[in-house]
Amino acid sequence: MTLRARGLALGYGGRRIIEGLDLDLGEAPMTAILGPNGCGKSTLLRALGRLMAPEAGRVTLDGEDIRRLDTKALARRMAILPQSPVAPEGISVGDLVRRGRLPWRGMLSPWRAEDQRACAEAMAAVELSELAGLPLDELSGGQRQRAWIALVLAQATPLLLLDEPTTFLDLSHQLDLLGLLRARGRERGLTVVSVLHDLNLAARFCDVLVLLGPRGLVARGEPSEVLTPAHLAAAFGLSAEVHPDPVTGAPMVIPR
Amino acid sequence: MTGGMTARAALLPLLLIAAAMLGLAWGQITVGPAALWHGAVSGEGMGAAMLSTFRGPRVATALGAGAALGIAGGLFQTLFRNPLASPDILGFDSGAALAVVAATAFGLIAPMSLVAAAGGLASAALVGVASYRRGHATPPLTMILVGLGIGFMTSALATFLMTLLPSNEAGEAQRWMTGSLAARSWDHVARIWIPGALLAAALLVRIRLLGALELGSDLAAGLGVGVAAARRGFVAAGVLLAALAVAVAGPVPFVALMSAPLGARLTGARGLVGRMLAAAGAGALILTLSDTIARSALTGTELPAGVLTGLLGAPYLLWRLSREMEGGGL
Repeated sequence: MTLRARGLALGYGGRRIIEGLDLDLGEAPMTAILGPNGCGKSTLLRALGRLMAPEAGRVTLDGEDIRRLDTKALARRMAILPQSPVAPEGISVGDLVRRGRLPWRGMLSPWRAEDQRACAEAMAAVELSELAGLPLDELSGGQRQRAWIALVLAQATPLLLLDEPTTFLDLSHQLDLLGLLRARGRERGLTVVSVLHDLNLAARFCDVLVLLGPRGLVARGEPSEVLTPAHLAAAFGLSAEVHPDPVTGAPMVIPR
Repeated sequence: MTGGMTARAALLPLLLIAAAMLGLAWGQITVGPAALWHGAVSGEGMGAAMLSTFRGPRVATALGAGAALGIAGGLFQTLFRNPLASPDILGFDSGAALAVVAATAFGLIAPMSLVAAAGGLASAALVGVASYRRGHATPPLTMILVGLGIGFMTSALATFLMTLLPSNEAGEAQRWMTGSLAARSWDHVARIWIPGALLAAALLVRIRLLGALELGSDLAAGLGVGVAAARRGFVAAGVLLAALAVAVAGPVPFVALMSAPLGARLTGARGLVGRMLAAAGAGALILTLSDTIARSALTGTELPAGVLTGLLGAPYLLWRLSREMEGGGL
């Protein structure tokens, strides 16, 4: 699964946010897109997930322009979870997760064993099986976020795009979620590209980091190549030291 | 738990049957259940006349038009994820009504359902164009305010056109504009039930797309839905349902607005199909009861149904607005 951007220019109403970006994603199981607020992380993710049209350039999935692909066929290969989605009032966890099966179902086709399996498996992965019958409104913030993750897992795509999936989660749940996604990458070849804001968590869990700054791409590569004092200064205007994390050995950013 | 759920699911159908019975029996002349039964079996007497000519078609029209308005309201509220989005608030009903009044004033010979549908679709298009900003998603509130404005404009135009009608027709048109089910025939029943049932069936076939749109347009697009086209389709279906109801019952206010929340409250339905059915049932209940009470409660005066739905709906709207303001939705 390779997701490529070539000469990508993105913006809203004439204001360019990203200009001439080339990016290769999807060779590694876990990729994080990092950068300061307003640098276009979410915009880039939206363009990769064909939620917005680029002003120039294109995004290809395994060599095919995603805007030329049938939208339903694409939804079987790539799922995207936007930032802070809003659920309808009173919807149950199970009902929400079932809607992730839409691209695999026809207009009138009945609910199949395969759909049931995918949903049960997705809810088990985020440890919500017991709560399937509960209304989403009655769950904690962390459980709710995991229900949305279960929806895109039930979509059963080889590629998953997530926009700040760890927002609203406390630290232990952030670790659980990223650990879960990485395990699925190892066990089932799931490729995850997510926008993250925590540099150290990204360094710890991701194979590839994409660092954006106010003037576009700063660096792309393994965490140790990307998280350097010079790159951090260019992206965030931040004066920082980088040391190996005493627990994992991953680079750890310590602002001065 | 299961017993409680079953009892709750039976509540709305039972209320509907009771409302229909009341609508057949009660009025300026009250016909008891025994007389109605005798009329139904023998086809003779006062009971038979009430069933076949006077109240039978009226109640059947009210049930159908109320259900159509209920589904239309539930559909817009789901689609725009806002409890204030309904065809009456968005001005689609008054657009349909204006088309009907205009056709009458200029002597156009055409089926009123088609005329109303054209008027409803035209005002929906107008609301869509007027609230459109390039490159931005229209916030539901903007659309609701634009819809209110266009609704006032079309109502004013309809009132003006009524002054062009001969006085006897103007009185009738005035009554109809309030939302009235007076003098309905089996023809009206067919005009709401047949196309209404077809539209509801078409909606049911596409309900999964609505379930995705309900999660927001980004998630829906990610699930493979062609968002713009699907939205247009659902808006058109909702406008047509509302226009069908307007063509047989006039622009009765607030039925569409109140139905889905009331239906959800009565049935406890949480799934999308369940909520839509509940909205249809609640709409039928509100309109049938309102019509029966409005025409029966005052001796010697038959008020149009819209007077009562207006009296019920305005406080509901105020309550809704205050809740939305507290919740930060406004």
